[in-house]
Amino acid sequence: MSTLGTAIDSLTAAMKCNILPNQEYLLQGSVLDQYVEVLLHRLRGLCDNVDSGPETFNDHELCYSLRINSANAPCILPLRVRRALDVTDAPFQLRYVGQPELGDKNRPTVVRSSIDMACSSTILEFLNELGCRLDFEYISRGYMFRKGRMKVTVSKIFKMNGMSNKPSEGVEAISQSYLVELSVQAPLGQDAIAEDMRIFAEQLRPLVQLEKIDYKRLGNMMS
Amino acid sequence: MGVTILAQFPVENKTGPQIIEVLSKRICALGATPQGQFLVDCETFTSVPALGHQRTVHVLHNSEQPATVFALLETGTKTIPLVTDGLFDLLIMKMISFYQSKKHTKTESKGPRFEIGDFSVKLGTVNITSNFKGILVEVEYKPCVVPAMCWDLIMEFMQGFLGSSGPTAPPAFLQNRMQEIYSPIDTIQQYLEHFTIFRKSTGPTMVMRPQQP
Amino acid sequence: MDRDIEQLNSALNSVKILRSNVRRVFESVSNGLRADHGEEIKENRYILELQELLTTVNNNLRDVENSVANLTPPPGAFNLGNTTYLSQETTQDRQQLYGQLVNSYKWTDKIREYSALAGNILASNSFNKTYKTFGTTKRRKTQTSNHNVPPEIIENLITSIDRLFSDVTITASRPFVPNPVIQVALGRVLRAVIAFKGLMIEWVVVKALSEGSDVWTESRYKVFRKVTENCHAAMCHFHSPLMPDLAVRSFMHWFHSYITLFSAPCKRCSKHLHSNLPPTWRDLRSLEPYHEECK
Repeated sequence: MSTLGTAIDSLTAAMKCNILPNQEYLLQGSVLDQYVEVLLHRLRGLCDNVDSGPETFNDHELCYSLRINSANAPCILPLRVRRALDVTDAPFQLRYVGQPELGDKNRPTVVRSSIDMACSSTILEFLNELGCRLDFEYISRGYMFRKGRMKVTVSKIFKMNGMSNKPSEGVEAISQSYLVELSVQAPLGQDAIAEDMRIFAEQLRPLVQLEKIDYKRLGNMMS
Repeated sequence: MGVTILAQFPVENKTGPQIIEVLSKRICALGATPQGQFLVDCETFTSVPALGHQRTVHVLHNSEQPATVFALLETGTKTIPLVTDGLFDLLIMKMISFYQSKKHTKTESKGPRFEIGDFSVKLGTVNITSNFKGILVEVEYKPCVVPAMCWDLIMEFMQGFLGSSGPTAPPAFLQNRMQEIYSPIDTIQQYLEHFTIFRKSTGPTMVMRPQQP
Repeated sequence: MDRDIEQLNSALNSVKILRSNVRRVFESVSNGLRADHGEEIKENRYILELQELLTTVNNNLRDVENSVANLTPPPGAFNLGNTTYLSQETTQDRQQLYGQLVNSYKWTDKIREYSALAGNILASNSFNKTYKTFGTTKRRKTQTSNHNVPPEIIENLITSIDRLFSDVTITASRPFVPNPVIQVALGRVLRAVIAFKGLMIEWVVVKALSEGSDVWTESRYKVFRKVTENCHAAMCHFHSPLMPDLAVRSFMHWFHSYITLFSAPCKRCSKHLHSNLPPTWRDLRSLEPYHEECK
């Protein structure tokens, strides 16, 4: 009788075959509130879930980081938890997102490493006790579309009013626009999908310009 | 997923394979059919000193729930369970500068699995970094989800084939939650309880023989 | 035209056969090695079985290709009626029609389907079936004693049972109004799906709480299959055509005694287990637990 391999064995095997979706291809943009209906209408036409209409979501996202402030090399591990406020029995989602790589001009999208997993609701306490610090949190409400492997979200970001136990009360929109994200989770090196994303983004112009956003440059502009 | 009870079986001057064979014969004589193998493994990570007071994360897998990873965080005052999916192993690798694998603590319990009526029985050989430590017998009564309701029934079953070595009281971990709905993490907590005892002990009370085919 | 339809039918048929055989392949693959592959050369046997299935699929695929090749494409464009003008419309607020069109199409489709079902059921339960022929003296009795009772009466019965036991939760669904299907959760022990025909219990299935709630698949656990069997026996025992609501009540009383299914030892042998099953029988009068073999 054959013996069982450990879970780690199968994980390393999966890594070797490169089937773990550990990369995220991402394009971002925004659209003003008054034009969002037009964009939604356009997306309804372009995306797969036509007859059921767009899927709405109302999520609470908490951004944690695990850090050591040693003198020579500070170590930071960012972790995010997302939970659905409208579907109470859905699992929580834990996510690690790495530094975005912009690449050169020929690369159509931002690529960042990403590990995404479902988990039980104990994750918040788990992270707190693990030594993580809650950096910030927000509410994201909006619509989700899909087109093949691509995911399109159109969402509005709300500031929380400091009440973690009642996350949907007293929220305040942070801007007069919606955040538009086009993303795909895929194993390493599937760059063909990035090209598909570029073509799809092209079809949403000029309503919304989906681009590679360079956060470092944004940071410099602010200061 | 039904209520599961885990019990240690005394070694008494026998080798692991010998005991497994004796128990397998007994359970088959009662009408059980072999149903493959099972494996529960556990790896332990401790926080680096720079992260403040020491915390321990145990990461466990159970072949009964192959897509799930269980993590138990011990802070010294409490234990926080987390149920998540296979990619958590990848995340724990990313945490290498915060949590490091404790040397010589890789523990596993593996062996044959049997089905008999609505029961499933697993005879596990416990190894810590491939040193034989003891035998754990797991019995699951699948139709029932509340431990208090079926404890007597499971105890009768276990005494039926383990004889006087069968348990006479519910495992310590379950005693406070006999009325709760049982879930897979409860099995994991029982395994961790036993693994911790095995890690503290200095091996089975017997001469070491070459183990494990 | 007839020939076309015949060919289309045979093509659809071969597609159906192909799908069912492909399904069998996946089933076999997902089941993996089974006990009936024997002990010794089971891998080989399994591979042989898989090969056989795949060959059938191959043959079916060839059939599909042949029958599709025989089809003639319909000449000309389809007539879509007024909907063709939709494509001429460019203003956006008018185009919102699309979603509504899809919805209304679905609605009409569903109405057609349901009305066909309802038609069938009504036809087989026609009101003429009442016992008019019995003569005038017995007319009063017919009110309470058969399967053509107003839904309110059944409704009342179900709510009264629901109130009777605190640890029983009942959820009802009525696919076809006079014949409700109720799910009875007995504490955290088990769940029964009970189908009524009027005021009579037509069918009972007992399952674990975690299992699905359809009436047709039996439980995967031996203990619940045994309890289901015993429920059928009790259902027949309590059946009384003249006082159907009493029959249902007594059945529910008896059924409620399964709340101790896992915790009560057998009255005769005072053991919990006999051939790895708890006492699955409850005495019809005293409600005491017995093993199948001890009763």
